[in-house]
Amino acid sequence: MNARDTILDALRRNRPDPAAHPLPPPVMLGDLDAGQARFVAGLRLLGGDLLERAPGEPLAAAIARRFPDARLICSAVPGVDGAVPVQDLPNAQAADPVDVAVVRAAFGIAETGSIFLSEAQLHLNALAHLAQHLVVLLDPAQLTANLHTAYQRPEFRTARYGVLMSGPSATADIQGVLIRGAQGVRSLSVCFDSV
Amino acid sequence: MKDKRIDHAGAAAAFIADAPHLAFHDERLWDMRQKRDAQMHLLPEWQELRTLASQIKEHTLANLPDYLEQFERNATRNGIHVHWARDGAEHNRIVAEILQARGATTLIKSKSMVTEECDMRPYLAARGITVTETDLGERIQQLDDQLPSHIVVPAVHKLTGDVARVFATHYGTDPNADDPRQLAEAQRQAARPVILHADAGMTGANFAVAETGTFVVCTNEGNADLSATVPGVHIATLGIERLVPRMSDLGVFVRMLSRSALGSPITQYTTHFRGPQDGGEMHVILVDNGRSARLGMADFWTSLKCIRCGACMNTCPVYRRSGGLSYGAVYSGPIGAIIDPTFNERKYSTLPFASTLNGSCTNVCPVRIDIHDQLYKWRRVLVDHHQMPFVKREIMHMAGKLMGQPRLYRAAIAGAETALGTLPRFALYSWLNPWGKQRELPHPVEETFHAWYRRTRSGNGTADTGR
Repeated sequence: MNARDTILDALRRNRPDPAAHPLPPPVMLGDLDAGQARFVAGLRLLGGDLLERAPGEPLAAAIARRFPDARLICSAVPGVDGAVPVQDLPNAQAADPVDVAVVRAAFGIAETGSIFLSEAQLHLNALAHLAQHLVVLLDPAQLTANLHTAYQRPEFRTARYGVLMSGPSATADIQGVLIRGAQGVRSLSVCFDSV
Repeated sequence: MKDKRIDHAGAAAAFIADAPHLAFHDERLWDMRQKRDAQMHLLPEWQELRTLASQIKEHTLANLPDYLEQFERNATRNGIHVHWARDGAEHNRIVAEILQARGATTLIKSKSMVTEECDMRPYLAARGITVTETDLGERIQQLDDQLPSHIVVPAVHKLTGDVARVFATHYGTDPNADDPRQLAEAQRQAARPVILHADAGMTGANFAVAETGTFVVCTNEGNADLSATVPGVHIATLGIERLVPRMSDLGVFVRMLSRSALGSPITQYTTHFRGPQDGGEMHVILVDNGRSARLGMADFWTSLKCIRCGACMNTCPVYRRSGGLSYGAVYSGPIGAIIDPTFNERKYSTLPFASTLNGSCTNVCPVRIDIHDQLYKWRRVLVDHHQMPFVKREIMHMAGKLMGQPRLYRAAIAGAETALGTLPRFALYSWLNPWGKQRELPHPVEETFHAWYRRTRSGNGTADTGR
């Protein structure tokens, strides 16, 4: 017998009685507030930040204000002045020198301050991880309350790669000291931007 | 001597002797436990989530063959190559075949307890494949040639100076570096070129969803997403018990995983892989390695519900004071002590005794595994199977005889009181008394309860006379 059939056969012989262990129906628990304030509190708790724009200020200007030393800005959204379109990067490795990547999240989760990105938003998945900093546009109308409500979103059934990013990369592996900016992006800034 | 009993007590004694390491280890893990409590108190639905998580996992395990087939069907339809491995050797062979067929000689990987179980790195190294761990803690342990000492924070038993020493040897950094930031940056700088040029990437998985063929990886450093998205080939290894039936079940588990582990509401990265990226290739290896047999153990099958959060380790007074390495196994702490004997009963026979049975592990477990009950049941199994060290077995045997015979017991107690009052320390605290190693024996009393009762109460039939 091959490995697959051996394993399945052993499981069928050894499993407890399925009738004794029914599947509970899906639940919708917890705080259902999908407001911006809750999202921002969650984002900040995990080390993320807001990028605020003065009225009428172009996104490129706000980015230049936050990252004055950035030399290479790469954008997965159109209309960011001076940014290289992600479509111009030939492969993942080409994203390594990117200082600031600009993307638009499909949605955000108020409970945890998380934003969702997939290949539909990124075009090049590695962009969100090789860049030094990430600027995320988020439509406040696309906020969902918590993880129970989030998993009803259609993106989880269509994306081949879908990441919930909650603040920037972080580690506390050396003597418990929390360090924001481990191996992925060093910072994650959310800019509310209605579509 | 592969099956030699792990000397947990001996290794723990060495750990305890190192005061600075012990103090940090104890405080760090207790801090994680307290942060977990703070998160729990923020969610009024916490206990309901634990019950649901337990029910979903028990249902999944009772229907595991069907859910595995459903997962395989959906994953295959999405373009994922699904492989099955009966044990570690078969798993390692599959990984090597995938890599060799593509001429890959460098593999970057994020943390995966299953690959530790399979002892994969030496197998691949012998076949000319360089494996680089990219998680900071796991990389420290790889460079120091040690097992992870904790399933979430692999190098938690080390202080900054220990990491500086390891990095100085391997990365050429300052051996006297005392800033964790500087060392974490050294890891980032050392890892980046390796990641950029790797032939293939590997991750584990925290969950797999049967209804969509998705697997989910929960991490903090970004290294797993780098390992999965930069190279063209992504191999994911997962234990067959990682399954959940529905996408909506993830809401229950993701809400509890990092809250239980680190006391953060969610990991920085919660990544859902449902198919290969454009131009890429994706493999999933479903690993049994003893799990299907464990499912048949009436007292122990629910240990398969574990989601590897480590909360039981953080709360365990024995784990916090003995260090993960003292367990001598891939899985340490309370969950390790009930899983490890299923891999090798003799080798890990001492681990279920590394517990006070205080039940704290059970109380914090997000999937309601009755860990302390299973620790107790393992002790019975190990005694039945004659897996007790000689001295402990003989002492228990004598104690059993004594306690079964009241007259003999009383004579022995009287003798013990005399001994405690008169014998010198070297006789009382000898190798025949392992209990006295880290403890003081009780002070001798003037009179035993039984002697007092006989003197004051016997013969007049009522309990409250003499008052």
